[in-house]
Amino acid sequence: MTKISKDEIKKLATMTKLYIAEDELDEVGQRLEDVLDYAQRVQLIAKDIQIPSQKNVNHDRSDIVMQGSVKDILDQAPAQEDNYFVVPQIIDEQ
Amino acid sequence: MKDISFSTIEDISKDVRNKEYSAEDVVTFYKQRFAKHDDTIKSALEVFDTQSILDSARNQGPLFGIPGLIKDNICQTNRITSCASKMLENYRAPYDATVIERLKEAGALCIGRANMDEFAMGSSTETSAYFKTSNPWDIDRVPGGSSGGSAAAVAAGFVPWALGSDTGGSVRQPAGFCGIVGLKPTYGAISRYGVVAYASSLDQVGIFSRTVYDNALVFSVIAGHDPKDASTLMLEKKDYTKNLTGVLPEGLRIGIVKTAFEAEGLDDEVASLTKEAVKTLEKSGAVVKEILLPTLEYAAATYFIISRAEAASNLARFDGVRYGFRAKDIQKLEDLYVKSRSEGFGKEVQIRMMVGNYVLSAGYAGKFYHNAKKVQQLICQDFSKAFSEVDILIMPTQSCPAFKFGAFDRNKLQMDLQDYYTAPVNLAGICAMSIPCGFTKDNMPVGLQLIGPKLSEELLFKVGHAYQQITDWHKKHPKIG
Repeated sequence: MTKISKDEIKKLATMTKLYIAEDELDEVGQRLEDVLDYAQRVQLIAKDIQIPSQKNVNHDRSDIVMQGSVKDILDQAPAQEDNYFVVPQIIDEQ
Repeated sequence: MKDISFSTIEDISKDVRNKEYSAEDVVTFYKQRFAKHDDTIKSALEVFDTQSILDSARNQGPLFGIPGLIKDNICQTNRITSCASKMLENYRAPYDATVIERLKEAGALCIGRANMDEFAMGSSTETSAYFKTSNPWDIDRVPGGSSGGSAAAVAAGFVPWALGSDTGGSVRQPAGFCGIVGLKPTYGAISRYGVVAYASSLDQVGIFSRTVYDNALVFSVIAGHDPKDASTLMLEKKDYTKNLTGVLPEGLRIGIVKTAFEAEGLDDEVASLTKEAVKTLEKSGAVVKEILLPTLEYAAATYFIISRAEAASNLARFDGVRYGFRAKDIQKLEDLYVKSRSEGFGKEVQIRMMVGNYVLSAGYAGKFYHNAKKVQQLICQDFSKAFSEVDILIMPTQSCPAFKFGAFDRNKLQMDLQDYYTAPVNLAGICAMSIPCGFTKDNMPVGLQLIGPKLSEELLFKVGHAYQQITDWHKKHPKIG
């Protein structure tokens, strides 16, 4: 059985940039355990196989300059000013 | 004007060409269908105004005057593309996806946006942040998912075709649940430029229609290489309807996947209807043999790991900075990320991303992700071996008929296992199509899954079209309202 502690769930949430409320930890933990318990069966047959190196074909194309509107892109932003995206303060004040 | 609710693309095209009615009449007709019945079915997140729909068709091409509904993870210029998520509630696409571009060039009319599971994560369309879609055959049941809105609209006679996307079965399973045709093309056959990514190594745009012939018509328009999507294959443009004679190819060898019928949890009626369909094909001249796919019982597990891992990576882009939802009253950048994502994403999406980060994390990647990539190779080998013995494979699309709303609320793993018969196809990058093959005692439709090797879409169309000439399951329609 896969067992995931509350601390692990919180760590995972931080990694995923999510906040999981204290009263949701049990339910979220159960969901994670259920799917991981099922998923771990891949170990049973995967042991001795080499993954062949992928030989993807690279399709080159010329770099084509296209007309685009900065305004169209910035208009999607939750906050913008003078052709920039606006974000909250990044550096703490001393 | 005559009733065209369940007319095929073929028929409507002919009528429009012969000026029996105009493209505008067609749009008006289907918009009235939506207005009258979509309060009950709830297939569309939005139906556009008539003039803008008509303006979008650029030519009198092969799909001129034919309306279709577009899954809401495919970008249409100046339209909202929400992925049925609060995260993208106000996102307006600044450009057309390549598939939309090609549809417009062919004269098709994109009539609206289809409801779906949030970010295509789900098997019932219940995870949409907006509302649940009903199955037109029984409004207390789900239409399947994640492309449930697209499937329900075609089944209900609101449009003759629709686009969906299929990462682990999201076109085929709803097609099966709703009694229509659903194609998951070969990986790389259709461009994904302008399609919101879920799991990029598996995602493909798929097509819903009521007949196999119509499916081939739409595929002919949208398939092919796209310089804007490096994962597309060098496919020549061709008309996939040209060789649809209605007769099975001479000496066709069909493999019935024995392993699939031995799997735990397969509904008896689904199993017997699928076997019945194989008998029908056998009577028409196909040579049938049993095939084993020993890795089938590992495919869903492999799919869970790879899809969640890629989702965690793909959805990291939603940070509340450049587009999408931003939480209010934020003081620090880290809070902006965490609050925007926690409030903008629904629970299913959050859990899938967390599973993804778990299976990729330093301590567990070997056990989960790397092993899953190895098993994926074994699954590919199983299919290759099978296709050295037979031309196509057949197994059920779905493990059960469409279920009632909330049926898996207490057991989400069982919901995830809806992908059991469909995900192996995505993992192998091959193509498959679900076609209606009968009804259960409760009058719910069941789909038959035809699976072919890479780029064998034409063969699947030939077999499916021939099957639809000797059966009439696709001619049965639900009574709505």
